[in-house]
Formats: sequence, structure tokens, C-alpha cells
Amino acid sequence: MIGLILFIAVMGFTLRRTGLTWPERFVNDAFGTAQGALYRPVGAVAGFFRDLGRLSDVYKENEELRRTVAQYTQDQIRYNAIASDNERYKKDLEFKLRQEQLFSLKYVTSQVIASGSNPYDKNIKIDLGAQDGVKPNMAVVTVDGLVGLVSKVSEFTSTVMPITELDPASPDTIQISATVSGKEQQVFGIVDYDKEKGVMRMSKIDENADVAEGDTVVTSGNGGVLPKGLVIGKVLTNQVGDFGLTHTATIQPAAKFDHLYEVFVVMTPDPDKP
Amino acid sequence: MTRIRINRAIVATLILLLIQTSVLPWLVPSAWSGRLLLHLPFVMTVFVALLGGRHRAFLFGLGFGWLEDTLFYGHMIGPYAFGMALIGYLIGLAFDRRLNTLAFVLLLAGVGSGLLDMLAYFIYKLFSLTHLSASFVFYWQVLPTLLLHMLAVLALYLPARRFLVRQIASQSEEADVV
Repeated sequence: MIGLILFIAVMGFTLRRTGLTWPERFVNDAFGTAQGALYRPVGAVAGFFRDLGRLSDVYKENEELRRTVAQYTQDQIRYNAIASDNERYKKDLEFKLRQEQLFSLKYVTSQVIASGSNPYDKNIKIDLGAQDGVKPNMAVVTVDGLVGLVSKVSEFTSTVMPITELDPASPDTIQISATVSGKEQQVFGIVDYDKEKGVMRMSKIDENADVAEGDTVVTSGNGGVLPKGLVIGKVLTNQVGDFGLTHTATIQPAAKFDHLYEVFVVMTPDPDKP
Repeated sequence: MTRIRINRAIVATLILLLIQTSVLPWLVPSAWSGRLLLHLPFVMTVFVALLGGRHRAFLFGLGFGWLEDTLFYGHMIGPYAFGMALIGYLIGLAFDRRLNTLAFVLLLAGVGSGLLDMLAYFIYKLFSLTHLSASFVFYWQVLPTLLLHMLAVLALYLPARRFLVRQIASQSEEADVV
């Protein structure tokens, strides 16, 4: 009975108290140290066993992550390819639209499929043929400038002769008449290619014509073979030609002639059609 | 006694021709694209001359030269058909007389490559389709291509032997026994 009263008294006494008396603190701290000394290692050991149990899960997870990373890398590569393709197509489209607006020509996109290894007939093949409306002597350009002329056409492919094969003295040559962009009325010349120096030449320029370094040479459309306004290259030098009466300019070609991806065939409106 | 599997040689050369025209242009750097002009059909003609004799090499060179000329027909058809047939025959003739060591094969491939390219040059010069000087052509295109052809022959020598040769020694031995 006395004990009961004593306990109730202790309970009542400790009910609302915030501080601790020193025996309580001592007991708490002593036990706390021992508990701490035990709790952590046991926790670690228990954790170790639990980790062992979960190791296979981790393996699986790791596998999955690795697969995801591989997938991601693949997607990244694919994305990069698509992005660069997209960039290229955008540029092509922009160029095509601009050109079509400027001159009423039709630019048809075509892929290069092969290039020959005959040093005197360095032709490339494209994947458009007579079925697509390609005809001999149509101009072939890239975004940069004039690449060549369609020389032979078969049903589904055609052969393109680059302008680096133009030789004024050969028996089956085609002469490209050219002019300078912005000075179309006063400058006129004929373009061919110097294989040994790797530059183009524009000859038979009038000596009074004003051709300066850096001018853009374009086709003039006078010859009737090529439409006008296709970029050929930039003028490097201009000096007196072989006979002293006319000037000859050297031209850095605008287009490059190897490692070609996509080219455009310039289709002129057919005069025979209504 | 060995015999060449000519059907296999033709199929392999067709595949090599495709590779040469559509893959190799991408592998040659821009600065060298006019100088390193590998003719894999020519390399195969050398092997056919080595393993199959001069008549086969003549027809083989004629056929594939003609095919190449037709595929990339710019000015005219024929220079490479003529050149490869002639060089194939001459190389076959040389193999008939001498020991067929690898060094000799390499030497003939080099000389043949040089002759073929110079022959093509002189044909184009004859019809005034080119106005380059012979020394420039030799230094600019023929010499690098010649070295490349020798490398290609060296690289393809063992695979070609394994792939193209049919051993018929055992059959003839059996025939002897019977």
C-alpha cells in the first residue's frame, strides 16, 4: 500500500517536470554510452547482412543502368546524326528556295552514289536519271557552287562531268560563258580548268572590263547550255592573257569536287513545253 | 597442280569494284583524291594472270576494263579495257617464264600499274583530251597510285590465293593410283 502510494507520488512528481536530477542524468548517460557502443556496430553488422541480401538486387539494378546508359549513348549518337542531317537539309532547303525565287529554275536534290577512278575522266554518278527528267548538259550544283554538267543519262542514274574536266582544246568540250556578279553588263569570259595548278581560268575578258580580286564569278547564261546565275568561284588574280588583247583571270572554284554528298540538278523549264 | 576458280574471281572483283567506286573515295583524303586512284580490278587481273595464265588475264582485264569504262563514261569508252587487257596478257606472259615469288608478283604489279596509267595517259593525249605533261602526270598520279597498287597486291595476296585457288593435286594422284 505504501509502495503504491510512493509510486503514484513519483509518477505525479515526474509528470510535468522538464529537468533531470543527477542520478537520472548519470543513469541516462551511462546507459547511453553503452547503448551507443553497441548500437552502431550491431547496426553495421545488420546492415552488412542486409546489403549481402540486396547484392543481387544491386547487380540487377546495375545491369539495368548500364543498359540504359548504352541506350542513351546510342540515342545520343542517333540524335547527333539526325541533328546534323537536319542542319544540312535546312541549309539545302534554304538555298533551294532562295535560288528558285531568284531564277525560275527547278532544283532537284540528288545523292551522289559513286565516283570514278579514271584520272582523265573523273566522273561522279548520281541517283537521278531519265525517269526523273534529267537530260544531258543540265547543271549540277552544291550549296557552294557549280560542280559540273550531266554528261550521260541512263534510266535511273546519270554521269556528271565535273567542271574540272573542262578543257578548251579537247574535241568534245563545252564552253561555259561566265560573268562577274554585279557587273553582268560589262564582264564576259569563258571558263576552263587548269589541272596542274588546281584553279579555274576565265579567259577572253575584255581589257577594259573591271575584274577585281574577290569578285564572284557566275554563269552568264549566254551560251545557252547553262542557266545564268550559278556561282562558279572567286577571282584570285587578273592579268593580261596569252595574246595581250584580252585578260585572263584565275578563279578559286567555290564548290569542292570530292567527298560530295548531295547535289542539285538544275532543271531548266523546257522551251518545247507549253 | 592448281587451278583458279574464275567464277569466284569474277564475283569478288565485282564486289571490289563496288567498294572501289562507292567506299574508297571517302577514305582518301581530299588533298590526295586526284592522286591515289586505286584500280582493284587491275589488282585482281594481276592475281588472275598469276594463277590462271595469260589468256584468262587478257579476257578478265578486257571485261572489267570495259565495265569500268562504261560505268564512268565521260569522253570515250575503251582506254582501260585496252590497257588492262594488254597489261594482263603481258603480266601473264611474264609469269609463264619466271619463278612466281611474292617479290616478283609485287614488281610486276608495280610495273604493270605504271604502264597501265601511262598508257591511259598517252591514249588521252593522242585524242588531245588532256594537255598535262607526261612528267607531271607521272609524278602527280602514276607514282602514288603505283605504290598504292603494290600495297593492295601485298595485302590481298594471301586472301586471294586462299580464295581463288582450287587444289586438284589429290584428284590427279587418285587418277594415277587407279
